[in-house]
Amino acid sequence: MLNNSYSFLIILITLISSLSINSQEKDEAFKDSTEIQKLQEVVVSVTKIKRQLSSLPLPAQIISNKEIQNTNSIRLSDLLNEQTGLITVSDFGGGEGIQLQGLDSQYTLILIDGLPLIGRSAGTLDLSRINIGNVQQIEIVKGSSSSLYGSEALGGVINIITQTPKSGFKSSLNYSLDTFNSHDLNINLSSKKKKLGIILFINKHTSDGYDLLSDDFQQTVEPFKDYTLNTKLTYSFSEKTLLTVSIRNYLETQNNVASKSLAGKSEINEWNNLFKINHFFNKKFESTFEFYITKYQAEEYLNDLNGNLFSKNYFDQALLKSELRSAFSINKKHAVIGGIGLTSEQIDRMDFIDAPKFDSSYIYLQYDGYYNNNTTLIVGARFDNHNVYNSQFSPKAALRFKFNNSFSIKSSIGHGFKAPDFRQLYFNFSNATVGYTVLGYNAVSKIIPQLESAGQLASVFIPVSNFNNELKAENSISYNIGIDYKPSSNFKLDINFFRNDVKDLIDTQIIAQKTNGQNVFSYYNVAKVFTNGIEFNSYWKLNNNIAVSGGYQLLIAKDKKTKQDYKNGNIYARLNPFSPSFQLNKNDYFGLFNRSRHMGNIKIFYNVPKWNLQANLRITYRSKYGLSDTNGNNSLDKYDDFVNAYSLWNIAINKTLNTKYKLGFGVKNIFDFKDSQNISNIAGQLIYGKFNINL
Amino acid sequence: MKNFKLFILLLITITGFNSCSENEDTMTLLPVQTKQITNLHAPQSGGQGQPVSGDFVKFNFTTGETTIDNKEWDIAFRGTSIIINGGVSLGTNDEPNRNGEAAVYIASGNMASVTDIDTTSFLQDSQSNYAILTGGGNGWYNYAGPPTHLITPIPGKILVFKTHNGLYAKVEILSYYKNSPSQPDAFIDGTPYYTFNYVYQPNQGVNGFE
Repeated sequence: MLNNSYSFLIILITLISSLSINSQEKDEAFKDSTEIQKLQEVVVSVTKIKRQLSSLPLPAQIISNKEIQNTNSIRLSDLLNEQTGLITVSDFGGGEGIQLQGLDSQYTLILIDGLPLIGRSAGTLDLSRINIGNVQQIEIVKGSSSSLYGSEALGGVINIITQTPKSGFKSSLNYSLDTFNSHDLNINLSSKKKKLGIILFINKHTSDGYDLLSDDFQQTVEPFKDYTLNTKLTYSFSEKTLLTVSIRNYLETQNNVASKSLAGKSEINEWNNLFKINHFFNKKFESTFEFYITKYQAEEYLNDLNGNLFSKNYFDQALLKSELRSAFSINKKHAVIGGIGLTSEQIDRMDFIDAPKFDSSYIYLQYDGYYNNNTTLIVGARFDNHNVYNSQFSPKAALRFKFNNSFSIKSSIGHGFKAPDFRQLYFNFSNATVGYTVLGYNAVSKIIPQLESAGQLASVFIPVSNFNNELKAENSISYNIGIDYKPSSNFKLDINFFRNDVKDLIDTQIIAQKTNGQNVFSYYNVAKVFTNGIEFNSYWKLNNNIAVSGGYQLLIAKDKKTKQDYKNGNIYARLNPFSPSFQLNKNDYFGLFNRSRHMGNIKIFYNVPKWNLQANLRITYRSKYGLSDTNGNNSLDKYDDFVNAYSLWNIAINKTLNTKYKLGFGVKNIFDFKDSQNISNIAGQLIYGKFNINL
Repeated sequence: MKNFKLFILLLITITGFNSCSENEDTMTLLPVQTKQITNLHAPQSGGQGQPVSGDFVKFNFTTGETTIDNKEWDIAFRGTSIIINGGVSLGTNDEPNRNGEAAVYIASGNMASVTDIDTTSFLQDSQSNYAILTGGGNGWYNYAGPPTHLITPIPGKILVFKTHNGLYAKVEILSYYKNSPSQPDAFIDGTPYYTFNYVYQPNQGVNGFE
């Protein structure tokens, strides 16, 4: 019954789908009807300045601090998994990356206060390392945003806005304990007096981890502990000049177990340091200078039973970024923002041919205009110049037209790109046990002749001369067109059609064969893929105490060449090893791996004012998907093995005891869903309790 | 008795002539042979970075059986490698010399759809490569890599052989694991145990399998 997609869809259709509840609406839902909140939701990720969310011409969404509180979410991954069209997917290293509009984690830029996070060991940025205890709101922009943010923003942007000091002194303490002996402790201190504001956030998180397969020597997630420390200092030199200094440090230590006799530790040490000055020249003109330096260091080692070092691995990345931008409001209806910036990025990693460095400079300009009281237009473009890959020009345009107060249409089109990463260029890795080799694109011309002269190559399939040109950046054009329908303040429905056409996707190919019979792989621009689909979001306030939201995404994501191969009858499959192979047709092609055709969520928020109690039930659903090809044709067809559809049911109950204390209780994954073979990041049922003190 | 022998002789001669004349009239050919070979065991030593050695297991399509003859063989198996009795040796340990005219190409399709022979596509073993390339995805098999490490025949790939004496056969390899398990496990099931279907065209000069 749990996995029954039909019953889910029926519920979904009945309730209609929805945008995740955002603060304003929730405030409305839980306020007395006589008391109308005038606060407008403000988003900064779309224009780099504060911008009212409701009139934006492109798909953007806010997850408010209130939703984080109500759902008792601790990690960014917990929260994003409950948003329509978003799902975190584990890579083979265990990192949980986000999939957005059917595009992989490496195509979504993750920002904290507008500045990028680094440390993508295999393209995935692990979202479970981001604690959200000090988050003001999370902004999600769907569709290519390279016109403002450059590389990686091909699919979209997730911007985590942390709290800033507010007048007076505030302190809070949060503690939660859950099933896996996980303790999460937050302390937030905030003070602002006249010119100086300071905020201090400390988080300690420890867990015993969990094990889905009990018969082996290692756990699915080994015990770990981590610390997040974030200090933010603001100083107003005058009413016109504001200085912000922010320092964030994340430390993680986890057991590392490779076999019965090999064990050690893995460590992550991440720094994000920001120095920022805002200056308002006058009411119309403001400038911001940002200097940002971030470092991500990961290290792991294994010792044998005698305590001797067996292996050590390191990954050391640093990014330096400075940007100067100015916003000019011509009048209340027209604004221009422009910026220039420099970035410098370095990596030192095992199995690299050298310690490479990327330097790039960029310039962008964006216009935001409002016409006739019903039309919003945003046009912008960014030019990125880079020392290693080809320059990129990324334009974007978005238009919204309001027919009346309840109905509007919005559409956007944009170019997005993702630069080749260090691994795709400089990797030089040979597997010690099996014997295959993976070479980065720029490593080929150096390493292949070395292997050849060492007599290790049996034959070369792709000549080295093919690697003289640059590896191109992956690039895409994204289209979004949608409607917003809000017939009353109690009901809202958004529908958005999206399509991303990605080309020059970087894939691996076999370039040579070694004398040991194994292959040499390298990267190349080949694939063209598309993702398209429809997203529904709806919100319905039944009365002052009950609100329901629902969301649904239909997704079709395919490789264009593979699709053609199916159409041409070049793809075969075999039902089992006894049976001969048979030809597949175009309807048999399911699409890219790890994509579910249907994803949805339903959330019911219930408020009991007389008990000061808030409760909610959140259900997320994911239809079947394939993780790998199981019948030998290198693509996912309907005869392959699939991971079954599943749904996760979560409840949270929070009670406020006078204004200072709050008690929370909840169950995540009530029905204890697990798929130990295929899904490593769903631990099973999790019961937690928490309390919160606000002073 | 003498008459009887003469009669037999006469009878044979007549039937012989008859069959000859029938052949000329309607081209009656020997029937095409379809057969399945199961669990052809062809182990190798070494590998994974070490020099490979061990005897190749030779196979003759005409007899439909493995052979130890050094001349009358068409193809031979060792580990994941399949060599043919045509071309030159790659020079690995224990590799037999080539003395026939065997050749091979890999056609896309299934046993039913591959009916014609494209004689221009044939390749022979060479000093640098076997005609059927080794390595996952290059020749007849896919290699899944970690964690399963499974070797599975690529569906839709038919190996079209010219035998050592110039006849044709087509082969579809079905399994690399002992007793062709439906869910093979590279760590449990024995390898290499080839199971394959083949169709052999015993008639000289016929460029097809029908």
